[in-house]
Amino acid sequence: MENVIELRNVNKIFDSFRLNDISLTVKKGFVTGFIGGNGVGKSTTIKLIMNLLQPDSGTISVFGLNYKEHEKEIKQRIGFVFDENVFYENLTLAEMKQIIKPAYSNWDDNLFNHYVKTFELPLKKKIKQFSKGMMMKASLTMALSHHAELIIMDEPTSGLDPIFRRELLEILHQLMEDENKTIFFSTHITTDLDRIADYIAFIHNGELVFTKEIYQIEEEYAIVKGGKELLDRDTEQEFIGIRKSNHGFEALTANKSRIENIFGEMVVIEKPTLEDIMFYTKKGAERFV
Amino acid sequence: MDISSIWLGFLFCIIVIMNAFTVDEKSSISNFLNSLPYTRKEIVSSKYIGAIIFTFMIIFALFMGNFIINKELIDWKEILLVVCLVLIFVSFSFPFSYKFKSQYLLMGFAIMFVAFMAIGNFVLPKIGPMLDTMNLGEKVEWFAQKLFSLQDVQLYGLIAIVNIVLYACSWLLSIRIYSKKVF
Amino acid sequence: MQILISNNSKEPIYEQIYSQIKKQILKNELQAGQALPSMRQLAKDLDISVITTKRAYEELEKNGFIYSVVGKGSFVSEQNHEMIKERKLKVIEEQLVTAIQNSKEIGLSFTELQELLNMLYREED
Repeated sequence: MENVIELRNVNKIFDSFRLNDISLTVKKGFVTGFIGGNGVGKSTTIKLIMNLLQPDSGTISVFGLNYKEHEKEIKQRIGFVFDENVFYENLTLAEMKQIIKPAYSNWDDNLFNHYVKTFELPLKKKIKQFSKGMMMKASLTMALSHHAELIIMDEPTSGLDPIFRRELLEILHQLMEDENKTIFFSTHITTDLDRIADYIAFIHNGELVFTKEIYQIEEEYAIVKGGKELLDRDTEQEFIGIRKSNHGFEALTANKSRIENIFGEMVVIEKPTLEDIMFYTKKGAERFV
Repeated sequence: MDISSIWLGFLFCIIVIMNAFTVDEKSSISNFLNSLPYTRKEIVSSKYIGAIIFTFMIIFALFMGNFIINKELIDWKEILLVVCLVLIFVSFSFPFSYKFKSQYLLMGFAIMFVAFMAIGNFVLPKIGPMLDTMNLGEKVEWFAQKLFSLQDVQLYGLIAIVNIVLYACSWLLSIRIYSKKVF
Repeated sequence: MQILISNNSKEPIYEQIYSQIKKQILKNELQAGQALPSMRQLAKDLDISVITTKRAYEELEKNGFIYSVVGKGSFVSEQNHEMIKERKLKVIEEQLVTAIQNSKEIGLSFTELQELLNMLYREED
Protein backbone atom coordinates (compact mmCIF):
# COMPACT_ATOMS: atom_id res chain seq x y z
CA MET A 1 0.00 0.00 0.00
CA GLU A 2 1.66 3.19 -1.03
CA ASN A 3 1.28 6.63 0.44
CA VAL A 4 -0.26 9.18 -1.85
CA ILE A 5 0.46 12.05 0.52
CA GLU A 6 3.31 11.99 2.99
CA LEU A 7 4.14 14.77 5.42
CA ARG A 8 7.22 14.16 7.49
CA ASN A 9 8.12 16.24 10.53
CA VAL A 10 6.51 19.31 9.07
CA ASN A 11 6.72 22.49 11.10
CA LYS A 12 5.11 25.78 10.26
CA ILE A 13 5.19 28.79 12.51
CA PHE A 14 2.91 31.79 12.38
CA ASP A 15 2.62 34.69 14.81
CA SER A 16 -0.26 33.30 16.79
CA PHE A 17 -0.09 29.64 15.93
CA ARG A 18 2.16 26.79 14.97
CA LEU A 19 1.98 23.41 13.31
CA ASN A 20 4.15 21.12 15.33
CA ASP A 21 6.11 18.21 13.89
CA ILE A 22 3.30 16.83 11.77
CA SER A 23 3.86 13.45 10.16
CA LEU A 24 0.81 12.46 8.19
CA THR A 25 0.29 9.75 5.60
CA VAL A 26 -2.63 9.23 3.26
CA LYS A 27 -2.85 5.74 1.81
CA LYS A 28 -3.75 5.03 -1.78
CA GLY A 29 -7.14 3.53 -2.52
CA PHE A 30 -8.74 4.70 0.71
CA VAL A 31 -10.65 7.61 2.17
CA THR A 32 -8.75 9.49 4.86
CA GLY A 33 -10.87 11.77 6.95
CA PHE A 34 -9.13 14.79 8.46
CA ILE A 35 -10.86 16.05 11.58
CA GLY A 36 -10.27 18.78 14.08
CA GLY A 37 -12.03 21.85 15.38
CA ASN A 38 -11.70 25.32 13.91
CA GLY A 39 -8.39 27.04 14.15
CA VAL A 40 -6.37 23.93 15.00
CA GLY A 41 -4.36 23.68 11.82
CA LYS A 42 -6.61 21.86 9.36
CA SER A 43 -6.59 24.53 6.66
CA THR A 44 -2.91 25.21 7.20
CA THR A 45 -2.17 21.53 6.63
CA ILE A 46 -4.25 21.49 3.49
CA LYS A 47 -2.53 24.60 2.19
CA LEU A 48 0.79 22.88 2.76
CA ILE A 49 -0.43 19.84 0.86
CA MET A 50 -1.53 22.09 -1.99
CA ASN A 51 1.68 24.11 -1.99
CA LEU A 52 -0.06 27.36 -1.17
CA LEU A 53 2.38 27.50 1.74
CA GLN A 54 5.84 26.11 2.26
CA PRO A 55 6.86 24.37 5.49
CA ASP A 56 9.53 25.88 7.70
CA SER A 57 11.05 22.43 8.07
CA GLY A 58 10.18 18.87 7.14
CA THR A 59 9.19 17.35 3.81
CA ILE A 60 5.99 17.06 1.87
CA SER A 61 5.58 14.58 -0.94
CA VAL A 62 2.60 13.81 -3.11
CA PHE A 63 2.64 10.69 -5.30
CA GLY A 64 6.17 10.30 -4.03
CA LEU A 65 7.20 13.56 -5.70
CA ASN A 66 8.12 16.92 -4.25
CA TYR A 67 6.61 20.21 -5.28
CA LYS A 68 9.84 21.97 -5.92
CA GLU A 69 10.65 19.87 -8.95
CA HIS A 70 7.32 18.37 -9.96
CA GLU A 71 4.64 20.97 -9.26
CA LYS A 72 2.77 20.70 -12.54
CA GLU A 73 3.00 16.92 -12.66
CA ILE A 74 1.52 16.60 -9.19
CA LYS A 75 -1.29 19.04 -9.84
CA GLN A 76 -2.23 17.25 -13.05
CA ARG A 77 -3.24 14.29 -10.93
CA ILE A 78 -5.09 16.07 -8.17
CA GLY A 79 -8.63 17.33 -8.09
CA PHE A 80 -9.51 19.93 -5.47
CA VAL A 81 -12.97 20.54 -4.08
CA PHE A 82 -13.29 23.68 -1.96
CA ASP A 83 -15.89 24.85 0.48
CA GLU A 84 -16.61 28.08 -1.35
CA ASN A 85 -17.12 28.96 -4.92
CA VAL A 86 -13.84 29.18 -6.71
CA PHE A 87 -14.99 29.79 -10.23
CA TYR A 88 -15.53 33.07 -12.06
CA GLU A 89 -19.02 34.07 -11.04
CA ASN A 90 -20.06 35.73 -14.25
CA LEU A 91 -19.22 32.78 -16.41
CA THR A 92 -21.29 29.71 -17.14
CA LEU A 93 -20.23 26.16 -16.42
CA ALA A 94 -19.58 25.58 -20.11
CA GLU A 95 -17.29 28.63 -20.20
CA MET A 96 -15.44 27.53 -17.07
CA LYS A 97 -14.86 24.20 -18.74
CA GLN A 98 -13.25 26.01 -21.68
CA ILE A 99 -10.85 27.64 -19.25
CA ILE A 100 -10.06 24.54 -17.24
CA LYS A 101 -9.91 21.91 -19.97
CA PRO A 102 -6.64 23.03 -21.65
CA ALA A 103 -4.84 22.94 -18.31
CA TYR A 104 -5.15 19.18 -17.96
CA SER A 105 -3.62 16.63 -20.26
CA ASN A 106 -6.03 13.93 -19.09
CA TRP A 107 -9.21 15.91 -19.52
CA ASP A 108 -12.09 13.71 -20.59
CA ASP A 109 -15.10 15.40 -22.14
CA ASN A 110 -17.15 12.22 -21.90
CA LEU A 111 -16.58 12.09 -18.16
CA PHE A 112 -17.43 15.76 -17.84
CA ASN A 113 -20.70 15.30 -19.70
CA HIS A 114 -21.47 12.19 -17.69
CA TYR A 115 -21.15 14.05 -14.39
CA VAL A 116 -23.00 17.10 -15.65
CA LYS A 117 -25.86 14.80 -16.57
CA THR A 118 -25.73 12.76 -13.36
CA PHE A 119 -25.59 15.85 -11.17
CA GLU A 120 -28.13 17.67 -13.33
CA LEU A 121 -25.98 20.78 -13.67
CA PRO A 122 -27.00 23.60 -16.00
CA LEU A 123 -24.35 24.40 -18.57
CA LYS A 124 -25.59 27.84 -19.61
CA LYS A 125 -26.39 29.41 -16.28
CA LYS A 126 -24.05 31.92 -14.63
CA ILE A 127 -22.18 30.41 -11.74
CA LYS A 128 -23.25 33.15 -9.36
CA GLN A 129 -26.79 31.83 -9.72
CA PHE A 130 -25.84 28.34 -8.60
CA SER A 131 -27.04 27.10 -5.22
CA LYS A 132 -24.41 25.96 -2.78
CA GLY A 133 -25.16 22.32 -3.50
CA MET A 134 -24.85 22.87 -7.23
CA MET A 135 -21.55 24.68 -6.77
CA MET A 136 -20.16 21.76 -4.84
CA LYS A 137 -21.26 19.36 -7.52
CA ALA A 138 -19.73 21.63 -10.18
CA SER A 139 -16.48 21.72 -8.25
CA LEU A 140 -16.53 17.95 -7.92
CA THR A 141 -17.30 17.55 -11.63
CA MET A 142 -14.24 19.59 -12.58
CA ALA A 143 -12.14 17.66 -10.08
CA LEU A 144 -13.21 14.30 -11.48
CA SER A 145 -13.25 15.07 -15.19
CA HIS A 146 -9.51 14.94 -15.62
CA HIS A 147 -9.15 11.46 -14.12
CA ALA A 148 -7.65 12.80 -10.92
CA GLU A 149 -6.13 10.08 -8.76
CA LEU A 150 -6.27 12.12 -5.58
CA ILE A 151 -9.30 14.13 -4.59
CA ILE A 152 -8.74 16.67 -1.84
CA MET A 153 -11.91 17.98 -0.28
CA ASP A 154 -11.77 20.90 2.12
CA GLU A 155 -15.00 21.21 4.10
CA PRO A 156 -17.03 20.28 1.04
CA THR A 157 -20.30 19.82 2.90
CA SER A 158 -20.42 22.85 5.14
CA GLY A 159 -23.66 24.68 4.55
CA LEU A 160 -25.25 21.80 2.69
CA ASP A 161 -28.43 20.03 3.74
CA PRO A 162 -28.32 16.46 5.06
CA ILE A 163 -29.97 15.03 1.96
CA PHE A 164 -27.30 16.47 -0.24
CA ARG A 165 -24.61 15.19 2.12
CA ARG A 166 -25.98 11.68 1.72
CA GLU A 167 -25.98 12.07 -2.05
CA LEU A 168 -22.36 13.08 -1.90
CA LEU A 169 -21.59 9.98 0.14
CA GLU A 170 -23.09 7.82 -2.56
CA ILE A 171 -21.01 9.54 -5.17
CA LEU A 172 -17.88 8.98 -3.13
CA HIS A 173 -18.76 5.33 -2.58
CA GLN A 174 -19.02 4.86 -6.32
CA LEU A 175 -15.70 6.56 -6.76
CA MET A 176 -14.00 4.31 -4.24
CA GLU A 177 -14.90 1.22 -6.24
CA ASP A 178 -11.77 2.12 -8.16
CA GLU A 179 -8.81 1.05 -6.04
CA ASN A 180 -6.58 3.66 -7.67
CA LYS A 181 -8.52 6.60 -6.35
CA THR A 182 -7.68 8.24 -3.04
CA ILE A 183 -9.74 10.77 -1.15
CA PHE A 184 -8.57 13.21 1.51
CA PHE A 185 -11.60 14.66 3.23
CA SER A 186 -11.19 17.48 5.70
CA THR A 187 -14.28 18.34 7.67
CA HIS A 188 -15.62 19.30 11.04
CA ILE A 189 -18.94 17.63 10.29
CA THR A 190 -17.68 14.27 11.49
CA THR A 191 -20.91 12.40 10.87
CA ASP A 192 -20.14 12.69 7.17
CA LEU A 193 -17.19 10.40 7.70
CA ASP A 194 -18.89 7.62 9.63
CA ARG A 195 -19.83 5.58 6.63
CA ILE A 196 -17.07 6.29 4.20
CA ALA A 197 -13.80 7.08 5.94
CA ASP A 198 -11.27 4.26 6.18
CA TYR A 199 -8.66 6.20 8.15
CA ILE A 200 -9.11 9.12 10.47
CA ALA A 201 -6.40 11.70 11.07
CA PHE A 202 -7.16 13.87 14.08
CA ILE A 203 -5.42 17.19 14.51
CA HIS A 204 -5.62 19.30 17.67
CA ASN A 205 -3.74 22.46 18.59
CA GLY A 206 -1.34 22.14 15.72
CA GLU A 207 -0.42 18.55 16.53
CA LEU A 208 -1.51 15.32 14.94
CA VAL A 209 -3.14 13.34 17.74
CA PHE A 210 -3.52 10.13 15.74
CA THR A 211 -4.04 8.52 12.37
CA LYS A 212 -5.99 5.29 12.75
CA GLU A 213 -8.23 2.87 10.91
CA ILE A 214 -11.81 3.56 11.90
CA TYR A 215 -12.41 0.16 13.44
CA GLN A 216 -9.28 0.66 15.51
CA ILE A 217 -10.85 3.73 17.05
CA GLU A 218 -13.82 1.65 18.10
CA GLU A 219 -11.51 -0.96 19.62
CA GLU A 220 -9.39 1.46 21.59
CA TYR A 221 -11.57 4.42 22.44
CA ALA A 222 -14.71 4.33 24.54
CA ILE A 223 -17.13 6.57 26.32
CA VAL A 224 -17.31 5.62 29.98
CA LYS A 225 -20.23 6.57 32.18
CA GLY A 226 -20.43 5.99 35.90
CA GLY A 227 -20.97 7.39 39.34
CA LYS A 228 -18.75 10.21 40.57
CA GLU A 229 -17.62 8.15 43.54
CA LEU A 230 -15.53 6.09 41.13
CA LEU A 231 -13.36 9.10 40.35
CA ASP A 232 -10.22 9.84 42.28
CA ARG A 233 -6.75 11.19 41.55
CA ASP A 234 -5.62 7.90 40.03
CA THR A 235 -8.66 6.95 38.04
CA GLU A 236 -8.98 10.44 36.53
CA GLN A 237 -5.60 9.87 34.91
CA GLU A 238 -7.10 7.06 32.83
CA PHE A 239 -9.28 9.45 30.91
CA ILE A 240 -8.59 11.92 28.16
CA GLY A 241 -11.39 14.24 29.19
CA ILE A 242 -14.12 14.10 31.82
CA ARG A 243 -17.48 15.73 32.11
CA LYS A 244 -19.06 15.75 35.55
CA SER A 245 -22.68 16.40 36.31
CA ASN A 246 -25.11 15.92 39.18
CA HIS A 247 -25.91 12.46 37.96
CA GLY A 248 -22.42 11.11 37.48
CA PHE A 249 -19.59 11.49 35.04
CA GLU A 250 -19.00 10.86 31.38
CA ALA A 251 -15.48 10.46 30.07
CA LEU A 252 -13.40 9.36 27.13
CA THR A 253 -10.65 6.81 27.35
CA ALA A 254 -8.10 5.72 24.78
CA ASN A 255 -7.67 2.39 26.45
CA LYS A 256 -10.97 0.57 26.48
CA SER A 257 -9.74 -2.80 27.69
CA ARG A 258 -7.94 -1.25 30.64
CA ILE A 259 -11.06 0.53 31.76
CA GLU A 260 -13.01 -2.70 31.41
CA ASN A 261 -10.48 -4.36 33.69
CA ILE A 262 -10.48 -1.62 36.28
CA PHE A 263 -14.19 -0.89 36.50
CA GLY A 264 -15.87 -3.94 35.01
CA GLU A 265 -19.59 -3.84 35.54
CA MET A 266 -19.53 -0.62 37.55
CA VAL A 267 -19.59 1.58 34.48
CA VAL A 268 -21.42 1.79 31.18
CA ILE A 269 -19.06 1.56 28.23
CA GLU A 270 -20.14 2.85 24.84
CA LYS A 271 -18.86 3.36 21.35
CA PRO A 272 -17.53 6.91 20.93
CA THR A 273 -18.43 9.10 17.98
CA LEU A 274 -15.71 11.14 16.31
CA GLU A 275 -17.37 14.20 17.79
CA ASP A 276 -16.93 12.72 21.26
CA ILE A 277 -13.25 12.26 20.59
CA MET A 278 -12.84 15.85 19.40
CA PHE A 279 -14.88 17.25 22.27
CA TYR A 280 -13.17 15.35 25.07
CA THR A 281 -9.71 15.90 23.68
CA LYS A 282 -10.33 19.61 23.78
CA LYS A 283 -11.87 19.36 27.26
CA GLY A 284 -8.92 17.38 28.48
CA ALA A 285 -6.45 19.91 27.17
CA GLU A 286 -8.28 22.69 28.97
CA ARG A 287 -7.81 20.83 32.22
CA PHE A 288 -4.10 21.43 32.13
CA VAL A 289 -4.30 25.09 31.31
CA MET B 1 -2.61 65.85 -32.21
CA ASP B 2 -4.53 65.91 -29.10
CA ILE B 3 -3.84 65.21 -25.45
CA SER B 4 -7.37 64.07 -24.79
CA SER B 5 -7.35 61.25 -27.34
CA ILE B 6 -4.07 59.94 -25.97
CA TRP B 7 -5.44 60.18 -22.46
CA LEU B 8 -8.58 58.33 -23.60
CA GLY B 9 -6.62 55.50 -25.19
CA PHE B 10 -4.47 55.25 -22.08
CA LEU B 11 -7.48 55.17 -19.76
CA PHE B 12 -9.32 52.46 -21.71
CA CYS B 13 -6.29 50.22 -21.66
CA ILE B 14 -5.66 50.75 -17.96
CA ILE B 15 -9.25 50.09 -17.00
CA VAL B 16 -9.43 46.81 -18.94
CA ILE B 17 -6.04 45.61 -17.76
CA MET B 18 -6.53 46.45 -14.10
CA ASN B 19 -10.02 44.99 -14.13
CA ALA B 20 -8.65 41.67 -15.36
CA PHE B 21 -5.97 41.87 -12.69
CA THR B 22 -8.27 42.57 -9.76
CA VAL B 23 -10.78 39.84 -10.68
CA ASP B 24 -8.03 37.28 -10.08
CA GLU B 25 -7.06 38.81 -6.77
CA LYS B 26 -10.05 37.43 -4.89
CA SER B 27 -8.86 34.74 -2.50
CA SER B 28 -11.21 32.13 -3.92
CA ILE B 29 -9.96 32.71 -7.46
CA SER B 30 -6.33 32.69 -6.42
CA ASN B 31 -6.93 29.35 -4.66
CA PHE B 32 -8.46 28.11 -7.87
CA LEU B 33 -5.59 29.31 -10.06
CA ASN B 34 -3.02 27.81 -7.78
CA SER B 35 -4.81 24.48 -7.81
CA LEU B 36 -4.50 24.25 -11.58
CA PRO B 37 -1.34 22.68 -12.97
CA TYR B 38 0.30 26.02 -13.72
CA THR B 39 3.41 27.37 -12.08
CA ARG B 40 3.29 30.76 -10.39
CA LYS B 41 5.59 32.01 -13.08
CA GLU B 42 2.99 31.14 -15.70
CA ILE B 43 0.20 32.79 -13.73
CA VAL B 44 2.13 36.06 -13.54
CA SER B 45 3.25 35.90 -17.16
CA SER B 46 -0.31 35.49 -18.34
CA LYS B 47 -1.10 38.92 -16.87
CA TYR B 48 1.82 40.60 -18.57
CA ILE B 49 1.15 39.02 -21.92
CA GLY B 50 -2.54 39.74 -21.50
CA ALA B 51 -1.78 43.41 -20.84
CA ILE B 52 0.10 43.70 -24.12
CA ILE B 53 -2.64 41.92 -26.04
CA PHE B 54 -5.38 44.09 -24.53
CA THR B 55 -3.42 47.25 -25.29
CA PHE B 56 -3.03 46.40 -28.93
CA MET B 57 -6.64 45.29 -29.25
CA ILE B 58 -7.89 48.55 -27.77
CA ILE B 59 -5.58 50.70 -29.85
CA PHE B 60 -6.63 48.82 -32.94
CA ALA B 61 -10.29 49.42 -32.06
CA LEU B 62 -9.66 53.13 -31.49
CA PHE B 63 -7.67 53.33 -34.69
CA MET B 64 -10.43 51.72 -36.76
CA GLY B 65 -13.05 53.79 -34.97
CA ASN B 66 -11.23 56.97 -35.69
CA PHE B 67 -10.68 55.94 -39.30
CA ILE B 68 -14.32 55.10 -39.90
CA ILE B 69 -15.86 58.01 -38.00
CA ASN B 70 -13.40 60.81 -38.56
CA LYS B 71 -11.91 59.52 -41.79
CA GLU B 72 -8.41 60.15 -40.56
CA LEU B 73 -5.48 58.01 -39.47
CA ILE B 74 -3.91 58.36 -36.05
CA ASP B 75 -0.31 59.41 -36.09
CA TRP B 76 2.09 56.52 -35.22
CA LYS B 77 3.76 58.74 -32.67
CA GLU B 78 0.50 58.96 -30.73
CA ILE B 79 0.11 55.19 -30.80
CA LEU B 80 3.63 54.75 -29.56
CA LEU B 81 3.03 57.21 -26.77
CA VAL B 82 -0.11 55.43 -25.60
CA VAL B 83 1.61 52.04 -25.68
CA CYS B 84 4.58 53.43 -23.77
CA LEU B 85 2.43 55.10 -21.17
CA VAL B 86 0.43 51.89 -20.66
CA LEU B 87 3.57 49.79 -20.35
CA ILE B 88 5.04 52.21 -17.84
CA PHE B 89 1.85 52.16 -15.82
CA VAL B 90 1.72 48.36 -15.83
CA SER B 91 5.41 48.12 -14.97
CA PHE B 92 4.79 50.01 -11.76
CA SER B 93 1.31 48.90 -10.80
CA PHE B 94 1.67 45.11 -11.26
CA PRO B 95 4.55 44.48 -8.86
CA PHE B 96 3.04 46.97 -6.45
CA SER B 97 -0.31 45.17 -6.58
CA TYR B 98 1.30 41.76 -6.19
CA LYS B 99 3.09 42.99 -3.12
CA PHE B 100 0.48 45.21 -1.54
CA LYS B 101 -2.82 44.39 -3.29
CA SER B 102 -4.38 46.65 -5.89
CA GLN B 103 -6.64 48.39 -3.39
CA TYR B 104 -3.63 50.32 -2.27
CA LEU B 105 -2.79 51.24 -5.81
CA LEU B 106 -4.95 54.33 -5.63
CA MET B 107 -3.17 55.37 -2.47
CA GLY B 108 0.15 54.68 -4.12
CA PHE B 109 -0.75 56.86 -7.04
CA ALA B 110 -2.04 59.62 -4.82
CA ILE B 111 1.34 59.67 -3.14
CA MET B 112 3.05 59.69 -6.52
CA PHE B 113 0.82 62.53 -7.68
CA VAL B 114 1.71 64.64 -4.68
CA ALA B 115 5.36 63.94 -5.33
CA PHE B 116 4.85 64.92 -8.96
CA MET B 117 3.22 68.16 -7.93
CA ALA B 118 6.04 68.89 -5.56
CA ILE B 119 8.57 68.29 -8.31
CA GLY B 120 6.53 70.35 -10.73
CA ASN B 121 6.31 73.31 -8.42
CA PHE B 122 9.68 73.31 -6.76
CA VAL B 123 12.16 71.39 -8.86
CA LEU B 124 11.24 72.29 -12.42
CA PRO B 125 11.30 76.06 -11.92
CA LYS B 126 15.02 75.70 -11.59
CA ILE B 127 15.12 74.28 -15.12
CA GLY B 128 14.23 76.90 -17.68
CA PRO B 129 12.92 80.31 -16.65
CA MET B 130 9.84 79.93 -18.81
CA LEU B 131 8.37 77.09 -16.79
CA ASP B 132 7.41 78.68 -13.51
CA THR B 133 4.94 80.95 -15.21
CA MET B 134 2.76 78.07 -16.46
CA ASN B 135 0.38 75.80 -14.55
CA LEU B 136 0.64 72.03 -14.52
CA GLY B 137 -1.57 71.23 -17.50
CA GLU B 138 0.31 73.67 -19.64
CA LYS B 139 3.57 72.22 -18.45
CA VAL B 140 2.52 68.77 -19.60
CA GLU B 141 1.38 70.17 -22.94
CA TRP B 142 4.68 71.97 -23.33
CA PHE B 143 6.58 68.74 -22.57
CA ALA B 144 4.46 66.74 -25.02
CA GLN B 145 4.91 69.37 -27.73
CA LYS B 146 8.65 69.29 -27.25
CA LEU B 147 8.59 65.50 -27.54
CA PHE B 148 6.60 65.44 -30.73
CA SER B 149 8.62 68.09 -32.41
CA LEU B 150 11.64 65.86 -32.26
CA GLN B 151 12.07 64.24 -35.64
CA ASP B 152 14.69 61.86 -34.57
CA VAL B 153 13.46 58.31 -35.07
CA GLN B 154 16.36 57.06 -33.04
CA LEU B 155 15.01 58.88 -30.01
CA TYR B 156 11.72 57.05 -30.33
CA GLY B 157 13.58 53.82 -30.75
CA LEU B 158 15.42 54.56 -27.53
CA ILE B 159 12.21 55.33 -25.68
CA ALA B 160 10.69 52.07 -26.94
CA ILE B 161 13.71 50.07 -25.79
CA VAL B 162 13.72 51.71 -22.36
CA ASN B 163 10.06 50.83 -22.03
CA ILE B 164 10.59 47.22 -23.01
CA VAL B 165 13.44 46.85 -20.56
CA LEU B 166 11.35 48.41 -17.82
CA TYR B 167 8.50 46.05 -18.62
CA ALA B 168 10.80 43.04 -18.59
CA CYS B 169 12.26 44.03 -15.22
CA SER B 170 8.79 44.52 -13.82
CA TRP B 171 7.80 41.08 -15.14
CA LEU B 172 10.72 39.42 -13.40
CA LEU B 173 10.09 41.33 -10.21
CA SER B 174 6.44 40.29 -10.18
CA ILE B 175 7.38 36.65 -10.68
CA ARG B 176 9.75 36.95 -7.75
CA ILE B 177 7.13 38.53 -5.51
CA TYR B 178 4.35 36.12 -6.46
CA SER B 179 6.53 33.03 -6.12
CA LYS B 180 7.24 33.91 -2.53
CA LYS B 181 3.67 34.82 -1.75
CA VAL B 182 1.96 33.07 1.15
CA PHE B 183 -1.77 32.39 0.89
CA MET C 1 -25.64 -13.24 -0.44
CA GLN C 2 -27.64 -11.51 2.21
CA ILE C 3 -25.93 -9.37 4.81
CA LEU C 4 -27.67 -7.20 7.36
CA ILE C 5 -25.68 -4.81 9.45
CA SER C 6 -26.77 -3.22 12.67
CA ASN C 7 -25.14 0.12 13.45
CA ASN C 8 -26.32 0.00 17.01
CA SER C 9 -24.93 -3.38 17.86
CA LYS C 10 -21.98 -3.73 20.21
CA GLU C 11 -20.36 -5.98 17.70
CA PRO C 12 -18.05 -4.12 15.30
CA ILE C 13 -19.34 -4.03 11.75
CA TYR C 14 -16.49 -6.07 10.30
CA GLU C 15 -17.27 -8.80 12.79
CA GLN C 16 -20.92 -8.82 11.85
CA ILE C 17 -20.00 -9.30 8.21
CA TYR C 18 -17.48 -11.97 9.12
CA SER C 19 -19.99 -13.99 11.15
CA GLN C 20 -22.78 -13.69 8.64
CA ILE C 21 -20.65 -14.80 5.71
CA LYS C 22 -19.12 -17.57 7.79
CA LYS C 23 -22.57 -18.80 8.78
CA GLN C 24 -23.73 -18.89 5.18
CA ILE C 25 -20.63 -20.79 4.13
CA LEU C 26 -21.04 -23.35 6.90
CA LYS C 27 -24.70 -23.82 6.10
CA ASN C 28 -23.74 -24.29 2.48
CA GLU C 29 -25.86 -21.33 1.40
CA LEU C 30 -22.65 -20.11 -0.21
CA GLN C 31 -21.22 -22.92 -2.27
CA ALA C 32 -17.58 -23.79 -2.54
CA GLY C 33 -15.95 -21.99 -5.45
CA GLN C 34 -18.67 -19.33 -5.52
CA ALA C 35 -17.40 -15.81 -6.12
CA LEU C 36 -17.92 -13.19 -3.46
CA PRO C 37 -18.49 -9.55 -4.39
CA SER C 38 -15.29 -7.51 -4.34
CA MET C 39 -14.63 -5.83 -1.03
CA ARG C 40 -15.12 -2.45 -2.63
CA GLN C 41 -18.40 -3.37 -4.21
CA LEU C 42 -19.64 -4.83 -0.93
CA ALA C 43 -18.65 -1.63 0.86
CA LYS C 44 -20.63 0.40 -1.60
CA ASP C 45 -23.68 -1.84 -1.37
CA LEU C 46 -23.67 -1.88 2.42
CA ASP C 47 -22.84 1.84 2.63
CA ILE C 48 -19.77 1.33 4.81
CA SER C 49 -16.04 1.99 4.60
CA VAL C 50 -13.92 -0.17 2.35
CA ILE C 51 -11.48 -0.90 5.13
CA THR C 52 -14.29 -2.61 7.08
CA THR C 53 -15.10 -5.12 4.35
CA LYS C 54 -11.37 -5.53 3.79
CA ARG C 55 -10.87 -6.51 7.42
CA ALA C 56 -13.83 -8.93 7.26
CA TYR C 57 -12.44 -10.58 4.13
CA GLU C 58 -8.98 -10.77 5.67
CA GLU C 59 -10.36 -12.54 8.71
CA LEU C 60 -12.35 -14.95 6.54
CA GLU C 61 -9.27 -15.73 4.53
CA LYS C 62 -7.13 -16.15 7.63
CA ASN C 63 -9.54 -18.71 8.98
CA GLY C 64 -9.73 -20.59 5.74
CA PHE C 65 -13.28 -19.78 4.75
CA ILE C 66 -12.38 -17.94 1.57
CA TYR C 67 -9.37 -17.52 -0.66
CA SER C 68 -8.38 -14.70 -3.02
CA VAL C 69 -6.95 -14.71 -6.49
CA VAL C 70 -5.14 -11.52 -7.52
CA GLY C 71 -7.04 -9.81 -10.28
CA LYS C 72 -10.00 -12.14 -10.02
CA GLY C 73 -11.47 -11.66 -6.56
CA SER C 74 -12.43 -13.78 -3.58
CA PHE C 75 -14.03 -17.22 -3.59
CA VAL C 76 -15.52 -19.60 -1.08
CA SER C 77 -13.09 -22.34 -0.04
CA GLU C 78 -13.92 -25.99 0.04
CA GLN C 79 -15.22 -26.60 3.52
CA ASN C 80 -14.57 -29.88 5.11
CA HIS C 81 -18.08 -30.14 6.49
CA GLU C 82 -17.57 -33.40 8.29
CA MET C 83 -14.62 -32.08 10.23
CA ILE C 84 -16.43 -28.88 11.12
CA LYS C 85 -19.43 -30.84 12.28
CA GLU C 86 -17.25 -33.06 14.42
CA ARG C 87 -15.49 -30.10 15.99
CA LYS C 88 -18.76 -28.38 16.79
CA LEU C 89 -20.19 -31.62 18.20
CA LYS C 90 -17.28 -31.79 20.60
CA VAL C 91 -17.93 -28.22 21.77
CA ILE C 92 -21.63 -29.00 22.24
CA GLU C 93 -20.73 -32.08 24.27
CA GLU C 94 -18.47 -30.09 26.56
CA GLN C 95 -21.11 -27.39 27.03
CA LEU C 96 -23.81 -29.98 27.80
CA VAL C 97 -21.57 -31.69 30.35
CA THR C 98 -21.12 -28.35 32.12
CA ALA C 99 -24.86 -27.68 32.02
CA ILE C 100 -25.58 -31.15 33.49
CA GLN C 101 -23.02 -30.66 36.25
CA ASN C 102 -24.52 -27.27 37.15
CA SER C 103 -28.07 -28.70 37.23
CA LYS C 104 -26.99 -31.57 39.50
CA GLU C 105 -25.43 -29.04 41.88
CA ILE C 106 -28.67 -27.16 42.34
CA GLY C 107 -30.79 -30.33 42.23
CA LEU C 108 -32.44 -29.72 38.87
CA SER C 109 -34.08 -32.93 37.58
CA PHE C 110 -33.51 -34.29 34.09
CA THR C 111 -37.12 -33.47 33.11
CA GLU C 112 -36.74 -29.88 34.32
CA LEU C 113 -33.53 -29.61 32.33
CA GLN C 114 -35.29 -30.93 29.23
CA GLU C 115 -38.07 -28.37 29.64
CA LEU C 116 -35.52 -25.61 29.96
CA LEU C 117 -33.74 -26.81 26.82
CA ASN C 118 -37.06 -26.94 24.96
CA MET C 119 -37.95 -23.40 25.93
CA LEU C 120 -34.54 -21.98 25.10
CA TYR C 121 -34.32 -23.79 21.77
CA ARG C 122 -37.63 -22.38 20.68
CA GLU C 123 -36.56 -18.88 21.78
CA GLU C 124 -33.58 -19.00 19.47
CA ASP C 125 -35.85 -19.61 16.51
